[in-house]
Amino acid sequence: MELSINGQTRTLAAAAVDPAMPLLWALRDVLNLTGTKFGCGVAACGACTVHLDGQAVRSCVTPLSVAAGKPIVTIEALGTKDRPHPLQSAWIAHQVPQCGYCQSGMLMAAAALLARNPSPSDAEIDAAITNICRCGTYPRIREAIKSAAVALRAAQPRPVPRAAPRKLA
Amino acid sequence: MRRRASWRDGGAHAVKRRTLILSGLGGAAALVVGWGVLPARSRLGGAGTLAAKEGEIGLNGWIKIAANGDVLLAMNRSEMGQGVHTALAMLAADELDVPLVKLRLIEAGHDTLYGNVAGFVAALPFHPADAEPGQETQVVKVGQWIVGKAARELGINMTGGSSTIADAWDVLRIAAATARAQLLGAASLRWRLPVAELSVEDGVVSHASGQKAHYGELAKAAATTPSGDVRLKEAAQWKLIGRAAPRIDLPGKVDGSARFGIDVREPGQLYAVIRHCPMIGGNYGAVNVDAAMRLAGVERVVRLGPYAGSTAALAVVGTTCWHAQQGAQALQVEWRAPQAGTLDSAKILGELEAQARDAAKTSGGFAFHTRGDATKADQVAARRIEQVYRAPYLAHATMEPINCTARVADGKVELWAPTQVPGLARAIAAQAAGVREEAVTVHVTYLGGGFGRRLDVDFVGQAVRIALECGGRPVQLVWPREEDFTHDFYRPAGAALMQASLDASGWPTGLRITSAGDAITPRWMARAIPALAGPVDMPDKTVSEGLFDQFYGIENQRIAHVATHSGVPIGFWRSVGHSHNAFFSECFIDELAFEARQDPIAFRLALLKDAPRHAAVLKLAADKAGWAAPPPAGVARGVALHESFGSVVAQIAEVTLVNGKPRVLRVVCAADVGTVVNPGIVAQQMESGIVFGLSAALYGRIDIEASAVRQRNFPDYPMLRLADSPRIETHLVPSTRSPGGVGEPGTPPAAPALANALFVLTGNRSRSLPLLG
Repeated sequence: MELSINGQTRTLAAAAVDPAMPLLWALRDVLNLTGTKFGCGVAACGACTVHLDGQAVRSCVTPLSVAAGKPIVTIEALGTKDRPHPLQSAWIAHQVPQCGYCQSGMLMAAAALLARNPSPSDAEIDAAITNICRCGTYPRIREAIKSAAVALRAAQPRPVPRAAPRKLA
Repeated sequence: MRRRASWRDGGAHAVKRRTLILSGLGGAAALVVGWGVLPARSRLGGAGTLAAKEGEIGLNGWIKIAANGDVLLAMNRSEMGQGVHTALAMLAADELDVPLVKLRLIEAGHDTLYGNVAGFVAALPFHPADAEPGQETQVVKVGQWIVGKAARELGINMTGGSSTIADAWDVLRIAAATARAQLLGAASLRWRLPVAELSVEDGVVSHASGQKAHYGELAKAAATTPSGDVRLKEAAQWKLIGRAAPRIDLPGKVDGSARFGIDVREPGQLYAVIRHCPMIGGNYGAVNVDAAMRLAGVERVVRLGPYAGSTAALAVVGTTCWHAQQGAQALQVEWRAPQAGTLDSAKILGELEAQARDAAKTSGGFAFHTRGDATKADQVAARRIEQVYRAPYLAHATMEPINCTARVADGKVELWAPTQVPGLARAIAAQAAGVREEAVTVHVTYLGGGFGRRLDVDFVGQAVRIALECGGRPVQLVWPREEDFTHDFYRPAGAALMQASLDASGWPTGLRITSAGDAITPRWMARAIPALAGPVDMPDKTVSEGLFDQFYGIENQRIAHVATHSGVPIGFWRSVGHSHNAFFSECFIDELAFEARQDPIAFRLALLKDAPRHAAVLKLAADKAGWAAPPPAGVARGVALHESFGSVVAQIAEVTLVNGKPRVLRVVCAADVGTVVNPGIVAQQMESGIVFGLSAALYGRIDIEASAVRQRNFPDYPMLRLADSPRIETHLVPSTRSPGGVGEPGTPPAAPALANALFVLTGNRSRSLPLLG
């Protein structure tokens, strides 16, 4: 079976996997991509959130048969050391994580939100981030998402009204 | 030679304070205090404590210096979100004058010097007024000395009880300051320049003459150089302590690279999934493994007896967690009910209430605190009121499911464990494998939450037992979430009869609290440290903490507890007894304010005339919340004030009703946590404790019927999500006291602050948790 993960094609031996196997376990136990977490197994907590075809999905209930052939992005490819995703930078600036276990899922859910909605309202953030955090990082997550949204908009400037040339002082 | 005298005569201001006290006390106390000066120093450790790799030089049991000048710090405490890796690193880095980036954490190992002394001393059932630092009563001093000495001897490494910084405060700073003094001494000898003329910046020692060397260049000589007169920095000299330094563990927690226990991947690793008898304390009878063994990827089935308090279970080993899980579900098992009798949580709660009422009639139970004459106060009272409060069992539900990785090969055991007690993990691993403890290596990973669940080592014993069957291959045991909810060591249920005597004006003249519930510490000792468990339970502070140690100046008090034996596995849950007792005590105080027709804050302040520290915290919260001005329409405020783990926290919750259900909009939190090491982490922990406490207050309940827990996964055990989360502000009262706890004290006031606001909002007083139960 072939999976497209983080821009690479990964071939999984037929003996190692089953089409019914959730994507989560192929990532964690076959490919050793352990950034994606197991939390509940019933799509309730969101610790396993990854992007499938650009959408945030809960990989613990996404069978490989559904994931195969579609681009999958995990926390390991959200950004790089040199070019972190604005959300990752905001997470550090706001000192969001505590135990950190739920944060991969939180970041992936937030990244999918900002990809489709560059300036989400509080209500839109509430609706999009339904993941569970036992450490109570929610207030900081909300603020970090807003900061990252500002940074993302600044990095992708839309056409601005033409201003008169300014004279250098 | 190291000069111990310098610690008594010159040295640290903390020591000086003790020396001052010494002068005012008699001979016996002098002996106690004299001994008391030594303990932190006795945990310094020798240069050979830490194994030195190529180019590294050990200076003591905590500090090694790398060839490039980096400082390697032995990390003895577990990082489970509370920020201790950063805070401990800050203590060492500050004394050593190195930036945090030059400090690397290494595994501490099992030497007794890494044990937790402060956490065990804090378990003594003393009233805080008798144990005020520097003003301890004689009984308190002797008790603390004996327990401190025993704790140093035993060296039990425990991350819990919000005790990490309190325990490390002297020990780690002394270790770092001693290392720094040796490094400076080495430079002084090498350059033939007086130490007093040398300075250190970013780990580089220099002299005005131009001499310069980094720690790595001095370490070898430093190892054999006496430290001389070691002094801790004065607060004004701190460069890191008191600053909101960014946490050192966060970069790995935003890119997926942080390694939790469940992320361990060793060559040839297998996975095991557990299935306990659904009935707590039950067993398996006949087991048919045929269907499971026919599944692809299933390797074997292992039968597990009870380990450190666990219920008997079966484990299926497979090539991935999913394969093992398929196998576990395919097992056909005849489950056997426990022989000890059937557990039923509703029945237990009813019995707790009855026992509390019975004991109250005869002034029964163990009296943790008495003051004045409560009986006489009752007799002369104009009016008496009484109410019963109740709290349910609760699950920890750490985000990282329970897991442990083990390899048993060639008579040796290697463990990778997200644990709060690495030494106890080692002990049960040795026992399960039938080897000596020295044959067990423990790697403590990051913990995806602890909250007290990982003070138990049941899962470690299970993992080692499974590994024995795996032919030398490493195996990772993972508990499905359903096994976690149904086989936790729960926060015990509790009930309390709260009685007050009032005078004609409604002022409280007497307070009686008679509570009932299981004692946690003796049950935990029996399963986790059986060698130290006695035949008789000693009075356990955790049952009555938050009740007996109140600070309100009610003249006549009797605060007692009836320790019960429900048979339900119970354990330490974030803030322990305070988690429910603060709800009982702070809601009842609110009731007394109402009876006295007084403002809840003015009423509390009137009772805090002899508790200025508590009054200051409460006033700060009131100021910051704008208590004097009315809240917006439809919003009510509730307040709670509570001391736990050496810290005082007040919270004011602003609550409204949305579709008839409570919604917490804002929590203003004020705290005195003593000297603040990292205010950013303190704020984080207050937020964390509040959200944790509100989840429990609104929704948390574990129900047991026919010995089986009904709640099996997150959908059955609701908790706050981002949409329900309040805005939280934290304000700190400046303090020069030794550091108090931070990880837990934010939790206890959350439930009563919310409940007290709901009373204002609805006119109904809820005395049972959860509030939406």
